[in-house]
Amino acid sequence: MATAVKRLDLTIGEFVEIAGRRYEVVSDREGGVTIEPAITSAAELHALRGTKPANAEDFERLSVDVPFDDEG
Amino acid sequence: MPEIPAGGPPPVSIEFGSLEWEEEVERYGAHSAARAQAQSARKTIEAGTAKLDWKRCKADGPGGTRLPGCRKLYVPLDKQGASEAPYGFVFQLIQKPDSSLAWNLIAFGERHPADGRTRNVYERAHKRLHGRYP
Repeated sequence: MATAVKRLDLTIGEFVEIAGRRYEVVSDREGGVTIEPAITSAAELHALRGTKPANAEDFERLSVDVPFDDEG
Repeated sequence: MPEIPAGGPPPVSIEFGSLEWEEEVERYGAHSAARAQAQSARKTIEAGTAKLDWKRCKADGPGGTRLPGCRKLYVPLDKQGASEAPYGFVFQLIQKPDSSLAWNLIAFGERHPADGRTRNVYERAHKRLHGRYP
């Protein structure tokens, strides 16, 4: 039995929902697109929870002795 | 669980939001090595018994990642090199409504994915902070 293919005309940044889960259309870095589970933005999460990024002074106070590595 | 920095400032908790956990860790298969390693590391962190080997993230990192106010832990927690500790957690320092501070998980994933199409943990963290990949 042939399986029907659902064709979607999607562009990067759009979202689709499959079986109740949200996916985002993103670049596949090879000139095409792919979908991946969506990443909720920190701004959205802060708004939901009433949190905010800590200020830079607090971060520096807590991290002054914490080393960097050669990654991100 | 509280992180108690040397020097005596108030403890800073480490938090794993359920939504972030689902998006970052549970995207991996239930029996995958990545998920098992993340779960094990979280258990150790929450037990509060291990010395955590924190690293700072860069405000201007490789590949255009910008992660100011963030720190990371390699996973497994007791390993360092990319082959022994292929995964990482990235946390953002946040201020909660009661003004207390917390390290909040924003990303989990591979530090150096073998597949060039796979986003590394720093790119995922950047996307959560800035809404798009670098």
